[in-house]
Amino acid sequence: MSSLNTFGAILSYAAEMEAQLGAYYAGIGKAERAKAADKRRAKLERVRRENVVEITLEPIEGLDAADYALDLADVSTEGQASVENIAARFYRDVAPKINVRAAQRALERCGREHGGS
Amino acid sequence: MSKTIKNYIDGEWVESGASTLIPVHDPATCEHLADCPDSTAADVDLAVRAAKAAFDEWRSTPVLVRAQYMHHFKVMVEDNFEAVSRIVVKEHGKTMDEARGEVRRGIESIDFAMSVPVLMRSDGLEDISSGIDETTVRQPAGVFAAITPFNFPFMVPLWFLPTAITCGNTFILKPSPQTPLSTEFLFEMLDELDLPEGVVNLVNGAVPSATALMEHPDVTGVSFVGSSAVAKIIYETCTRNGKRVQAQGGAKNYIAVMPDADIEASVKNILGAAYGCAGQRCLAAAVAVGVGDAYDALKDELAKQVANLKVGYGLDETTQMGTVISDSAKERIETMIAQSATEGAKVVVDGRDFNVDGYEKGSWVGPTLIADVQPDTTMANEEVFGPVLALMKADSFDDAVDIINQSRYGNAASIFTSNGKNAREFKYSVNAGNIGVNIGVAAPSASFPFGGQKDSFFGDLHGQGMDSIEFYTERKIVIERWV
Repeated sequence: MSSLNTFGAILSYAAEMEAQLGAYYAGIGKAERAKAADKRRAKLERVRRENVVEITLEPIEGLDAADYALDLADVSTEGQASVENIAARFYRDVAPKINVRAAQRALERCGREHGGS
Repeated sequence: MSKTIKNYIDGEWVESGASTLIPVHDPATCEHLADCPDSTAADVDLAVRAAKAAFDEWRSTPVLVRAQYMHHFKVMVEDNFEAVSRIVVKEHGKTMDEARGEVRRGIESIDFAMSVPVLMRSDGLEDISSGIDETTVRQPAGVFAAITPFNFPFMVPLWFLPTAITCGNTFILKPSPQTPLSTEFLFEMLDELDLPEGVVNLVNGAVPSATALMEHPDVTGVSFVGSSAVAKIIYETCTRNGKRVQAQGGAKNYIAVMPDADIEASVKNILGAAYGCAGQRCLAAAVAVGVGDAYDALKDELAKQVANLKVGYGLDETTQMGTVISDSAKERIETMIAQSATEGAKVVVDGRDFNVDGYEKGSWVGPTLIADVQPDTTMANEEVFGPVLALMKADSFDDAVDIINQSRYGNAASIFTSNGKNAREFKYSVNAGNIGVNIGVAAPSASFPFGGQKDSFFGDLHGQGMDSIEFYTERKIVIERWV
């Protein structure tokens, strides 16, 4: 069963992923990236709070958190590129599943900031 | 040991004089969360006296200052958004998304109250006769009370309290004794606002405190949301006692699905409408009417998607449907499902005897789909207030409208269609106060009145929107001549 099956599950997963990325980059001395991740985390929490529309809550299908696991032990350049790619893919996959445009736009922007198109 | 909830009267948390305590449980875990006092008429009298004493100072507090309190209140709720949402989940059993959605809609009502300085303005006309001017002013009307239900324990009080006090009235809230913790938190935030003592008051309890509010001579008006049977009693009691009253009752909301609708997309939205908050909302979709060929397609798609809904504890964010409020609610709902089978309907997805691993003591009813429901049966006509969707077949659009309009309720009705003519005709012909077109839950936003007709509403002015400004103010006409 999909574990990213609600609006809240997706936004909370995204916020938690950014929190982990913030700690990851802080741990390897990349302060700018850590700060950017923290900014995205705060934004995602705000989006979760402000864009939950009770009358259009619908089940979400086809997304599983296991597909977006980050290897945060790998701090090599390749490892960093890998987590960025996974994060970008995550946002690319989840944004179209959200039926609130403002939230969708925020997710798309997060994806772009991770290097996604 | 769990706490006993206090009342909030005249700016202080005070113990009720009640001799009876009502236990409050987490309906999913059965954890005993608190005890709610069944406050007495004496408790209510203290609250009304405090509210009455506070009225003169509060009504003369500039309206912009009163609105400014709402700005600060909104910030507090935003800052405590997740904490409030979790309390709602724990005492009600709904999902986190539903709780967040409820808190968000509550905030929208606070936003609306910030508009009171604009909305309370009135008009005037010079020279209605030679040298005579006439103006209208709106003034606050006194002490108001609200008696609110368990199903939206944070949102529904906010339909009333912010607008009432920003209009310059003082206020007493009596929440459901099944879910008093959300309102306790609400009043902890209000306490932090440093409003003048007595402007807002909280009295916890059940029938004795509700009755005392309705009969107290110093209460100007009462707002109520709950079942139709109680709404009617509230309306009759309040009017007998010379009060303003707006009493929102129960519902049996129909959704018509036309053959031209996108069935898969419609069903996705209907799922939220029928099973959101485990069906415990006055706007819940209760009956889906498939028109012509839509019936079989609707039944098949619903059966498929209903079976995939994940039922569980609301604090788990992957949960798509939570529990019902209590074991007695579960028993009542399961009895109605059984009755529908004896009345000839077919239980396609059966939510009876449902359980969730790890939460075996919870009040679970699984999502239930009942097909081939006939118009003259209990399932077609009586409110279930649970996660049960009935399916009925209509031969034509007109037949569907007839089925809907035969209901004694008139809270909401929706149509799913891609045809504008059908949509227009539906809006025009259906006797319900809230109409949805390709929306299963036709819930008005805070700046619109919350509709309701027939046995779903007793009163003249509805909650929310401009109706609420009318309800909470008195209009005075001033005719002036200066010579």
